[in-house]
Amino acid sequence: MASRSELEAFLIGVERRAFKQAVFAVRDQDAALDIVQDAMLRLAEKYGHRPVSELPLLFHRIVQNAIRDYFRRQKVRSLWTTLLSSLAPGRGEDDDSDPLDSLHAAGGAHPGEQPGEQLERTQVLEIIEQEITRLPERQREAFLMRYWNELNVAETALAMRCSEGSVKTHCSRAVHALAAALKARGIEL
Amino acid sequence: MNENQFGDRVRHILNQGLELDSAAAERLRLARERALEHQRPEPAPALRWADNVLGNLGGWSGVSLRLLLPAALLVAGLLTLYTWQQNRQIAELEEIDTLLLTDELPIDAYLDRGFQDWLKKRAAEQ
Repeated sequence: MASRSELEAFLIGVERRAFKQAVFAVRDQDAALDIVQDAMLRLAEKYGHRPVSELPLLFHRIVQNAIRDYFRRQKVRSLWTTLLSSLAPGRGEDDDSDPLDSLHAAGGAHPGEQPGEQLERTQVLEIIEQEITRLPERQREAFLMRYWNELNVAETALAMRCSEGSVKTHCSRAVHALAAALKARGIEL
Repeated sequence: MNENQFGDRVRHILNQGLELDSAAAERLRLARERALEHQRPEPAPALRWADNVLGNLGGWSGVSLRLLLPAALLVAGLLTLYTWQQNRQIAELEEIDTLLLTDELPIDAYLDRGFQDWLKKRAAEQ
């Protein structure tokens, strides 16, 4: 069973990545925070007694479910909003601001790093985050779980409730799409 | 560069973007504290076994689909079979009663010891 300190250490290790992952999916910082908050609570309440080794898979599954629940609620809400906005003069869809712009993506400056290098690093990070946001949902999920959260293929398949073959396909497509998009923007990794 | 190498590079870059503004970091910290306060305690040994079984079946939702639904169908099937058999027995008894009541021979004759002896004797002769 995971002790309180083990659970705390696990949450500290995953919470920021989970938050960013939720931002990539829902493109809303507040909604992403709500999702991670709910996921952490559900993990502790329902699976807090499970061994530490099981926590990563359970947590990622909960986060993915929470993201899907968010989209389901959004769908219902947007239906009502559309109905109501057709009755009242509303705002046009002229808001082009990217939610990722509001994130502090820069990170801390590396010691000894020139301002130019830091700027370049920040720009590369922003572009990668934008391109990850543009990936199809399942490809993004598979890619981030496999390569960012370092789950293996079997664990990713369990978390995504699909076959291992599907995970490999999603990952491969995501890598190729991402590499092509970055190349088009002049970035070679 | 293969897929794994590409993934490693992207992970390295994404990890550099994990710095959050203080408000978001504080919200995450509070959420973590709240979650830890609600950590589920370790169940008793007997419950732990049941919990593992439940976990393997996919939690309560999995149980309802994989275990409770077939069990409910089985109970419903057994109840239907029992009711059908009861109705059939009642119908058979009703039929015997009707035959007895509509027979020319009075029903008291079957209770008469001499008549029973006569029936046995006749059966033996045949």
